[in-house]
Amino acid sequence: MNSLTYNILQLTVMILVAPLINGIIRKVKAFTQKRKGAPLLQMYFDLFKLIKKNTVVSETSSWIFKAAPYVVITTALGAGLMVPSVTLVAPSGFMGDIILLVYLLALGRFFMMLAGLDTGSTFGGMGSSREAMISALMEPSILITLFTAGLAAGTTSIGGIMTKVKEMPAPLTQPVFIMFFLATLIIIIAETSRIPVDDPSTHLELTMVHEAMILEYSGRHLAMMELGASVKQLVFITLLVNICLPLDQLITISGIGAIVLSLLLYLVKVSAAAVLIAIIEVNTVKFRFFSVPNLAALSFILAFIGFLEYFVLWR
Amino acid sequence: MDNYNQVLSVLILLTSFMLMANKRIKSYIGTFRLQSALIALTAGIMGIRAAMAEGSIDVLVVSIIIIALKVIYIPNLLHKTFSGVEYKVEKDFFLNIPLLILICCGLVVFSYFSVSRVAGGSDGIMNAEVVNSISLVLIGLFFMISRRKAIGQIVGFLVIENGIFITAMFSTNGMPFIVDIGVFIDIITAVLIMGIIVFKINEKFDSIDINKLKNLRG
Repeated sequence: MNSLTYNILQLTVMILVAPLINGIIRKVKAFTQKRKGAPLLQMYFDLFKLIKKNTVVSETSSWIFKAAPYVVITTALGAGLMVPSVTLVAPSGFMGDIILLVYLLALGRFFMMLAGLDTGSTFGGMGSSREAMISALMEPSILITLFTAGLAAGTTSIGGIMTKVKEMPAPLTQPVFIMFFLATLIIIIAETSRIPVDDPSTHLELTMVHEAMILEYSGRHLAMMELGASVKQLVFITLLVNICLPLDQLITISGIGAIVLSLLLYLVKVSAAAVLIAIIEVNTVKFRFFSVPNLAALSFILAFIGFLEYFVLWR
Repeated sequence: MDNYNQVLSVLILLTSFMLMANKRIKSYIGTFRLQSALIALTAGIMGIRAAMAEGSIDVLVVSIIIIALKVIYIPNLLHKTFSGVEYKVEKDFFLNIPLLILICCGLVVFSYFSVSRVAGGSDGIMNAEVVNSISLVLIGLFFMISRRKAIGQIVGFLVIENGIFITAMFSTNGMPFIVDIGVFIDIITAVLIMGIIVFKINEKFDSIDINKLKNLRG
């Protein structure tokens, strides 16, 4: 029963909170440009509108084009199930570990790249090849980063890491977790197509990566692609905030009240992370595409130094 | 919050990696300023602790001198010297940046292993702060040889000096006042002379590429 409650709660939180993050980021960006900006809930309206609309599928495309949105959203939600937003409701049994999380997301991305190539449009092919390069660059750094946290906690299960971290005194003052925080921040920016790597709000053919791959989609399929991308973003943000800033140990009451309180704290943490990402996005310019390896190398090294610090300090 | 020394030493190491990944002269100087500010903070905390415990204000004075010299004076001097130079971005490296960063990581690993040999490898205790600051010295040295332009040599030299200072700081809790002052005077003379020489080279050859210095041969 506990496992069922957890799954329902987790899926609801992931689907409902994910579009809000995009809303917050857009709002902060609009404020810095002295605009009022779209309402916070704009992405929900967009998704509803897209679901109601007709889907247009190109005649030359194969089954991959129609299957890809389902794969993308399923893998994103599957990854979301592994990253508990509220650690008070523990998932029971084996719920997957770091490696499964990374490669589930990689599977969704693989299908997204195939779908980009499938229609045979030039933009799709371009976007897919760029995405392949970025993902190949970021994959080692994601793995090393998560393994660093796993090493410090002594387990590779993500729920396990989050419960272990709760017992440590202020993780963000430990060198290992400072490095983890910075490396994860770079990974979030690269993985969720934020500004130094990709620009989410433009359709300029020279620069777009993620937008180029989903250019041919419309209606329900597009809604699934968009929701999948934002759930993936929320998965990474949850990893960041729940490992670096666990506040669940402060809650002294138990029962339903504790879960509600923990969810509220989670919302506050996630919004703070969204504001931080928006500030980074406002303050940087888009990199040349061939400067992205520098960013990947930097995040890899940050995680690796965290790894070394663990052996020096805690062995 | 009793591990602030570890945190600060890791952050100082981090700034040296930021320096390695940069290629703009402005960000070289800015990152050096940040690094010096962190070092001044470390020295300041140590100074306050020393003043509370023993009543000696040597380290505190040293940290104020660092703020005046390395956070304010030298970066401004470098800005002024290099505002006249026409290039702003370093273009051709000997190796590309990701490779440079990976080599720096190798340097950090190297210093971990070598320090564990020297300072009590048998009892399994390594002083993380000392390891990080020795890596800072090595990275500064590597920065000097990885950049072609003269600004790289100057900033690399300053990073080496920062590394030596912070190593001494972490391993002894503050050196004798007279030693620190002597080092600072050395630094300031070196930077002044280097700045003037770079300015003159730029004036004579229209470039501060160190490879062109061969042209001086008759």
